[in-house]
Amino acid sequence: MSVVAKLHRTTWSTLKQLQQNGRKARFSASATTSRNDLFTHEQRRQREAVGRVDKIEVRYMGQPEDVTLVMNKHISTPYNCAQHLSEGICKRSALALIDGSVPWDMHRPLPESCTLQLLHFFVAEPHLVNKAFWRSCSFMLGAALSRIFKTEARLQLHSFPSPNIKSGSFVHDVVLGTHTWEPTKAEMRAVSAEMVKLAARDIPIERLEVEQELAQEMFKDSRYKNAQLPSIAQQNQGRVTLYRLDDHIDISRGPMVGSTRFLGKCTIIGAHKLSNKGATDAFYRFQGVALPSGFMLNHVAYSLLEQRAQKLNPARLPNEPFEDQQQLQLS
Amino acid sequence: MNQADVSKLISQLRIAVRPKARNLKNKDGPEGRLLKLRKTVTALVKHERIELYYNRADEARGYAELLISNAIRHGDRHKATMELADYWLLEKQLVHKLFKVLVPRYENFNVSYTRMYKAPRDYPGMYYKKSVLELRGNPYPALTPDLSQNRNLLHNVLLDEARKEFKREQLAELANKLAAESGTKSTTTTSVTSDMPKEQKTENETPTTV
Repeated sequence: MSVVAKLHRTTWSTLKQLQQNGRKARFSASATTSRNDLFTHEQRRQREAVGRVDKIEVRYMGQPEDVTLVMNKHISTPYNCAQHLSEGICKRSALALIDGSVPWDMHRPLPESCTLQLLHFFVAEPHLVNKAFWRSCSFMLGAALSRIFKTEARLQLHSFPSPNIKSGSFVHDVVLGTHTWEPTKAEMRAVSAEMVKLAARDIPIERLEVEQELAQEMFKDSRYKNAQLPSIAQQNQGRVTLYRLDDHIDISRGPMVGSTRFLGKCTIIGAHKLSNKGATDAFYRFQGVALPSGFMLNHVAYSLLEQRAQKLNPARLPNEPFEDQQQLQLS
Repeated sequence: MNQADVSKLISQLRIAVRPKARNLKNKDGPEGRLLKLRKTVTALVKHERIELYYNRADEARGYAELLISNAIRHGDRHKATMELADYWLLEKQLVHKLFKVLVPRYENFNVSYTRMYKAPRDYPGMYYKKSVLELRGNPYPALTPDLSQNRNLLHNVLLDEARKEFKREQLAELANKLAAESGTKSTTTTSVTSDMPKEQKTENETPTTV
């Protein structure tokens, strides 16, 4: 009898605990789903607002031959153009170049007739595509962090500074609900593994431009993003550019590479505490180094890159005053 | 005591050789197999790059390596080596090529004389693995892209910056050391900077791309 009572008590307490955890998780999960619903809804609305389909001429320049494609205005993307060329080009192209100068996301609709080049990581002048890759890595790091931390850690993504490859690491700044977290090697390896999992799933990175009000609605439960939105919208005529990866949505100026597939070797190696924020929270800067898939690098050389990426990145800190709004996060 | 050093009796190959030879199915038995391989070795020496099925290429590769290695070790005045060359090279003018072209080319090599790549198989077609077998130092354009030349590629940008930072750190370290040594003595900064480049060149061993 007593054994039964004991059993009953333990199961009851675990059940209760489970329920509590579930409630906590449900809260953040519901925020993510509502944000995703708004994103999907707005995406559909914009697609339907196109109305009558007009045609544009896209002059493709590059391998295997220069061709002119007749595409749909505000619907067709550079990826759709690549689909007309070959499967190899679809897989390889990470970024498009419009009119020879404007970098353009692979999954962003084309608004008018233009010339089109498709960039990959082995072109002679890969600056633009490298930068987009570095930015995408920061963005993916945000997605990986928000997946891997439990709700108890009270993780809130803050922002990431504009990509600077020469600094040796990509960065994502977050706020954690602790003052005294010392990351262990195993923990950093778990974050790296999450990045690799994202890469293996080959998830397309979607882009959407929304009005400021909608963005405020989407990020209403995210204190830091909500505070950043007005100044970002102010620079861009009241519009905010959002990116989505699976169910992770973040603000970024873009452009980014077309898919998570392009991430090859990746190590998240440093998490530095920057400063305290209030009584319980603190700013942390996560750093990592990555190479696009297809790059083979000697492990000795790669370990040198890792060592360098471990040092604190000197990019603008999230707790510094925003003296220059142009510099403010998310380029 | 008077035994010869066994490891010096035969050439040591610089490639991995399978412990067991492949039979390379043939109706004429082992002789037919050898004729197949002789044809392949002859073609390799003649054309310097050939595309063929993986098994046959891998099998012929060892014999080609051995032939070149022996030719380098013994020269053209060695009867056994000449017989070996006569056996493996079906076209006799290639014996001249072996001793007059390939031996001078590979004399100072410390890597294997041949290279093998995996090649895509025909589709639709025979489901056999294919490969490309080539002599090193051949006159054709390289098969693999050279990623070390373009310094704008992502890994090269990262490596170059890492190298620069390493040099900066060394410079700062040395400057600190000199300042500490000199103590109250005033050192001219120009002497410090002029000393630096030599030191770094010897010390800095940051590997470049692969």
